[in-house]
Amino acid sequence: MTAPTPDEKVAAPKPPTPKFVMPVPVLNRSNGRLIEDRFSTWPQRIFDSKWSLPSYRFGAAMLVAIAAALYATGWLVGELSTRGEQAYSLIFHYGASYGLSPLSVGVIWIALKVIAVLLVILVNGLWSIWWERKISAHIQSRVGPTFAGSPKGRNFHGWAQTPIDGLKLLLKEDITPAAADRWVHALAPAIVIAPCIIAFAPVSFGSQLAAANLDIGTLYIFAFAGISVIGVVMAGWASGNKYSLLGGLRAAAQIVSYELPRGFSIVPVLMFAGSLNLSVIADAQTGFWWGVVPKWFVFYPVVGQIAFAIFLIASVAETNRTPFDIPEAESELVSGFHTEYSGMKWSIFFLTEYAYVLLGSFLLATFFLGGGGAPLPYAPFLLVPSWLWMLAKALLMMFVFLWIRWTLPRLRADQLMDFTWKFLLPWCFANIALAGLYLAFWLKP
Amino acid sequence: MIGYFSTIARNSKAVLQGHWITLKYMFKPSVTIHYPDEKLVPFERYRGALLFDAATCISCNLCVKACPSNCIALENAKNETGKKIAKVEWYSIDFGKCNFCRLCEEACPTKPKSVWHSLDYEVIFVKRDEMVRCWKKDFPFVGKYFDRLAQTFNDPQGQVNIHEVQPRRN
Repeated sequence: MTAPTPDEKVAAPKPPTPKFVMPVPVLNRSNGRLIEDRFSTWPQRIFDSKWSLPSYRFGAAMLVAIAAALYATGWLVGELSTRGEQAYSLIFHYGASYGLSPLSVGVIWIALKVIAVLLVILVNGLWSIWWERKISAHIQSRVGPTFAGSPKGRNFHGWAQTPIDGLKLLLKEDITPAAADRWVHALAPAIVIAPCIIAFAPVSFGSQLAAANLDIGTLYIFAFAGISVIGVVMAGWASGNKYSLLGGLRAAAQIVSYELPRGFSIVPVLMFAGSLNLSVIADAQTGFWWGVVPKWFVFYPVVGQIAFAIFLIASVAETNRTPFDIPEAESELVSGFHTEYSGMKWSIFFLTEYAYVLLGSFLLATFFLGGGGAPLPYAPFLLVPSWLWMLAKALLMMFVFLWIRWTLPRLRADQLMDFTWKFLLPWCFANIALAGLYLAFWLKP
Repeated sequence: MIGYFSTIARNSKAVLQGHWITLKYMFKPSVTIHYPDEKLVPFERYRGALLFDAATCISCNLCVKACPSNCIALENAKNETGKKIAKVEWYSIDFGKCNFCRLCEEACPTKPKSVWHSLDYEVIFVKRDEMVRCWKKDFPFVGKYFDRLAQTFNDPQGQVNIHEVQPRRN
C-alpha cells in the first residue's frame, strides 16, 4: 500500500485552532488506567446543554402554566355548566332578538355541547399519547421523548412531542393501496371514530356535567361503543391485505366476546344504583361507612371488587390494548387492521383508541369510584370541585390502563377466547347472583 | 374446586407481582445516556480509533508486519547522509481496512506504545479518502487525511473529532 506523502507546500501549515477544547480526564497519566467509572459522563459543549437549569425551570413553568390554563378552562366550563339553564336562556333571548326560532337555538346549543365534548377527545389524544410514551419509557428504564419542544432546549420532557407528531401525520402522504377497496378504505376510520364521539354524549364529567342527561346512558354508551368494531372489520377487509383481514376478524371476535362480560360486570352496579343513568349511578355512591370509607361500589365487599376487576379487564380488551391486542399484534400481523393506513386516517384510529381508553376511564370512575364525590368527608377534599375529582379518578384509571399495557405480555387467540367465555362470563353471573343476595339481605331497597 | 381457586389466586398474585415490579421500575432512574450531550467513557481495554505518536516511534516496521489487514504503512526517515534513522518520515493508517484488533499495539516495542487504540468511538467518514490518516514528523496535527483530488491535506469533515488524546507518557 502506498500512502500519499505530503508535499513541501503543505508540509508546514499553520496549526489549526481546535473548534472546542476537549477535556483530557479520561486517563490517569501515571499508570494509564481510567480514573472515572464507566457511568461517568464526558460532557462536550457542542451546543447549549438541554439539561441546564434555566431551561429546566422554563419547562417546569410552562407545564405549570399549561396545568393552570387547563384548570382555568375546566373551572370556567364547570361554572358555566352549573349555569346551563341561564346560558341557554341567554342564547335563547339573544337568538329571539334576531328572530331565530327555538329549534335553531336548540341546534346551536347542542352544537356547542358537541364541540366541548369533541375538544375533550382531542385534548385527551394530545395528553394521553405523551403520557403513555413517558410511562412506557420509565417502566422500561428509558426516558421517552425529551427533545421536542424547542431547538434551544426549552423543552420539558418533550412536552410538544404529540402536537409535532400530529403535524407530521397531517402532512404525510395519504396512501391507498392498489388492492384496496377505495371507498370502504376511506370510510372505515370515520365509522370507527363517529360512534366513539357519539358514545361520549352521556358521559358525566362531574356532577350535573354531561352533554346529554340520558336515562339509558349506560346502555347507550355500550351500544355505540360496539358499533366501532364494524369500522375495524371494514378497515381490515378493505385494505386488501391478509394481515389486515386477519386483524379485523380477530378484532370482531374479540370485541364482540368482551362486550358480554363488560356489560354483565356492571349489572351489580346497576342493581345497587337502580338506574342506567350515569349521574344517578354516581350520586348513589355518596355517603360514607363509619364516616371514613366512601360508599363507592368498588368498596362493596367481594361484589364490588370482582365487578371492578372484570370491567377493567374487559375495558382493556375492548380498546385492543396489549394483553389483549391480538387484532394488532405487531409480531404476528404487522399492525393488524391499520397496517395499510397512513397519515390522518391512521391517526384517527389512534385517536379512537385513546378516546376509548378515556371513555373506559370515565366509566370506571363513574361506576366504581364514586364519580365526582370526594374520597373523605373533610374540608380540603370537599372544597375540590366535583369535575376535578372526576378527572383525577379518570386519570388514575387511565394510568392503570397504561400500566397494564406495559406490564403484561400478549395472550394467544385461544387463551383470549377461553378467558372471556370460560372465566370472566361465569364469574359475572356469579357476581350478579351475589349482588342479588346483597340486595335481598343487606341493602334492602 | 380447591385447585380452581388456588389457580386463580396464584395467577392473580403473579399478575399483581408483575405490576408491582413495573411500578418500582417506573420510579427508578433511567439508564439512558443523552448521547450528544453526555458521553459514556468506554472501558480501559476498549479498542477505539488508532492513534499514533511520531515522536516515540522508532520505525521498526513491526506494526506493519503484525497488521492482519495490511492497513498500516510507514517510511523511514533519513539523516543528511541518506542513512536510515529510527524515526518515521510518514506513517499512515487506513481505517477502511483496520479491524481494530490491537495486534499492532501489542507488537509495538516502544514504551509507551507509539501506536495504540484510543477510547474514541466516534469514527465517522464522509469520503473514502478520509479513511486514510497520515502522520508526518513534526506535523502539528494528528490524523489529517490526504485528498487525492485536491492533492491537499484536510481535516476530516463529517467527523466530530478524532480528538487529540495525549500520548500516554509523562
